Amino acid sequence: MEKAIEVKGLVTHYGTREILKNVTFSIPRGMTTVILGGSGSGKSTLLRHIIGLLKPTKGNIFINERDITSLSEIEMIDVRKKMGVLFQGAALLNSLTVSDNVALPVTEHTKLQGSTIDIMVRMKLDLVGLSGSGGLYPSQLSGGMKKRAGIARAMALDPDLLFLDEPSAGLDPVTAAGLDELIVRLKKVFKITIVVVTHELPSIHIIADYAVMLNRGEIVFTGTMDELKMSDDPQIVSFLARRPPDDSLAPGDYLKTITGNS
Amino acid sequence: MNIGLEAVTKNDKKAFYLSGEIDMHSSPVLRKELMKLVDRKITPLIVDFGGVSYIDSSGIATFVEVLKSMMEYGGALRLTGIPDSVMEIFRFARLDSVFDIYESVDNAVAC
Ligand SMILES: Nc1ncnc2c1ncn2[C@@H]1O[C@H](COP(=O)(O)OP(=O)(O)OP(=O)(O)O)[C@@H](O)[C@H]1O
Ligand SMILES: [Mg+2]
Repeated sequence: MEKAIEVKGLVTHYGTREILKNVTFSIPRGMTTVILGGSGSGKSTLLRHIIGLLKPTKGNIFINERDITSLSEIEMIDVRKKMGVLFQGAALLNSLTVSDNVALPVTEHTKLQGSTIDIMVRMKLDLVGLSGSGGLYPSQLSGGMKKRAGIARAMALDPDLLFLDEPSAGLDPVTAAGLDELIVRLKKVFKITIVVVTHELPSIHIIADYAVMLNRGEIVFTGTMDELKMSDDPQIVSFLARRPPDDSLAPGDYLKTITGNS
Repeated sequence: MNIGLEAVTKNDKKAFYLSGEIDMHSSPVLRKELMKLVDRKITPLIVDFGGVSYIDSSGIATFVEVLKSMMEYGGALRLTGIPDSVMEIFRFARLDSVFDIYESVDNAVAC
């Protein structure tokens, strides 16, 4: 299994608070990997480090065998051109039309003619099923359309790594299924490596080849989907069965919690 | 730039053998070269992809642009020797029915 991304001994902080605690795992090339874990477990934080937006306290992150933790901001620009990102919440620029949002990375990073970029943008919008919506503004889009527009923008520079942070959060099941189908097709046609942060079980079963699971800043699982399904780790079993983990407190501890005496 | 466009005359028709990586850096160069041919209203314009190791969406968009310009004078663009990986992208973008695609330069020249 060829590695697209390798994370070694990653420790990260916000201020003095440790978020990721010595995290080590790798992500296979040409597959879709899901990053799982409860709210606040550090999934988005992990993503921000992998795309080089944040520098870790400790550890290394290899993207296509290059350690990005030691790259300068200028060197990082080149690496980032080959990465497409859909941030949690899509993050389109509201003052620009959908087409201009998609064109922006291309005009910023290439010397292509406007007429060529126009065609590229139309191709990307068609790719995500938004043909004909290029002239709309983000505020005129539904939640699902916003995600699609965000994916079109993430695909603008033909990345070989695509990161999607909770693409189907807040969408109805049919719209979410449509996005899953798009993710599957993107991998198949473009042979790219896709990393998806998600909680949606139905989605995981459709899109994922490989899974990484975080709990409170620590890795609790990495492996194929088959390995995930066969795991007898209680956290994984309860996640796959949609049960809350058993973290009920002993009566004495509960008393301490509500009286504040610890 | 790391691309080549070599002209060969066959049966009075010109075929251009494209080679290298067609990416966001080389596409503007390729566009300039192809547009020179379009300005001369060459038809059919035969382009062979046999030596193309990679083509991204900017390269594909360049060919769409060339086709669009050629349609204005009724010119024919014929693409040949397209690798499977590129064909898959063409099919996905439904461009396999937009472009006139031939197996080989000999086939494209014959009609
Ligand atoms: N910019 C920030 N500054 C300070 N703390 C932060 C910041 N962003 C996140 N955190 C904290 O870091 C922890 C991990 O947050 P993160 O956003 O990575 O979680 P997550 O797994 O993506 O959660 P969710 O599923 O809710 O999106 C949380 O406790 C959060 O409060
Ligand atoms: Mg998050």
